[in-house]
Amino acid sequence: MEIFSEYFKKDHLLLKVDARVKLIVAIIVLIMVLSYKGFVFPLLVVSLSLALCIRMKIPLRVFILRFSEPMFLALVLVLIKFLFSGKDAIFSLNLLGISITGYREGLVEGLLIASRIIGAVSIVAVLGFSTPFTEFMAGLSWLRIPKGLIEILMFAYRYIFVLLEDAVVIYNAQKNRLGYSNIRRGLSSFGILTGSLTLKAFEHSQNATVAMVQRGYDGNMPMLKHKPFKPSEIIISLLFIIAMGFVWKI
Amino acid sequence: MKSQIIFLFLISQFLLLTCSDAHAMHISEGILPFNWAAFWFAVAVPFVAYGLYRLKKLSNIDLSFKPLVGLMAAVVFIISCMPIPVPTAGTCSHPCGTGISGILVGPAISIVITAVALLIQALFLAHGGLSTWGADIVSMGVMGSFAGYLTFRTLRSMKINMTIAGFMAGLFADWATYLTTSVVLASGIRGDSPFMPLFTKIAIAFIPTQLPLGILEGAMTAGMVVLLYKKRPDLLVKMRVLKPEEVTA
Repeated sequence: MEIFSEYFKKDHLLLKVDARVKLIVAIIVLIMVLSYKGFVFPLLVVSLSLALCIRMKIPLRVFILRFSEPMFLALVLVLIKFLFSGKDAIFSLNLLGISITGYREGLVEGLLIASRIIGAVSIVAVLGFSTPFTEFMAGLSWLRIPKGLIEILMFAYRYIFVLLEDAVVIYNAQKNRLGYSNIRRGLSSFGILTGSLTLKAFEHSQNATVAMVQRGYDGNMPMLKHKPFKPSEIIISLLFIIAMGFVWKI
Repeated sequence: MKSQIIFLFLISQFLLLTCSDAHAMHISEGILPFNWAAFWFAVAVPFVAYGLYRLKKLSNIDLSFKPLVGLMAAVVFIISCMPIPVPTAGTCSHPCGTGISGILVGPAISIVITAVALLIQALFLAHGGLSTWGADIVSMGVMGSFAGYLTFRTLRSMKINMTIAGFMAGLFADWATYLTTSVVLASGIRGDSPFMPLFTKIAIAFIPTQLPLGILEGAMTAGMVVLLYKKRPDLLVKMRVLKPEEVTA
């Protein structure tokens, strides 16, 4: 879980920017990427995001891990569109009796989707890398996301790490007793592992409730108070969005 | 058409063999164009709203309910991040965990749990995405939870034993998620192409992982339900999964 942003956050410029500003800018740029019908804008967004990630000194391993899954899906989609969508054939070959044809329109469509994926992922990656979880929650509450959902998010985030430690202990114990030596035993062990985690979740929830009630918990959790917006951040963000909007329009 | 399907199957096998970890259930950030992303958000909102309404109602009665739901979300998060070997594909994929949460806390709350797990994964692990949050909630949360819950309840009402009911619930939760993901993907990326042929191709491309993974998820769900039944049947009664007389019997 060291890939969570909290573990490698450095002191950088974006960390000091109000989470609400980052959230709004990210959402607007994300909508621009999703509604753009070309390569230029998503690639510009990817370049900017990469530059920011390098500036934030994001470890290369974390960066590769973050992008590996979307890249894989993008590759699959490019192949599906290339081989099965379109009329203008670029190539056609017969491989062991199987006819394979690649289409120009499909390739273009596939690459457009791929650029959209990488552009969108890079925006969210920068947001995730630069925003502490609690500030992010405060930003969501400012955006009028229901409080119940935010409270569950906070409980979940807090206990992911606790339960993960429990899971590692159980998994290592099972592994030492050859619990994953074959598929049948592996399935059984995995069922026990996840069942034990659920039991731990019940126990932790009871203990947490008792502890919180003793500290005055009445069913509602307090959120971070919002500071007033800094005019400089608003102006810079507006200029950035206008500039991006200009590129998006052309 | 037949040769194309064979080729697609071979391609998907190759890609799966060359990729260490496939998270096929999550629809990745940016795959859906804006109109489809907005549409799936609109579909997901009433379900999440109803889940939050149920959550508020139940947490007014029991103060420990919100922490419990939060912890269940953490469990679903961890389960859906765990790589499980998929023997037929020679790779790893991940279960959803929505079947078990649907059984334990009901489909409405399970949708909230899935929404929370998906948001954390989207923000901090790039599994799924912000723009595809709505679509992922519909496929994993709504379809997975309802499929798991309804299968388990139906089989239990027919006096089918706990292990089989749990297994089938996990299996159908997983396959319902996978089919819905295929529908969402096909509708989102088809462009001017017809829907059905693309849907068929995507569904076939997912078969190497999702078919065995459904069986694995079924086994996992059965294992969890049986373990809870053996160790803490009182919890299953409290969550209204079992009637008190079923435990004493």
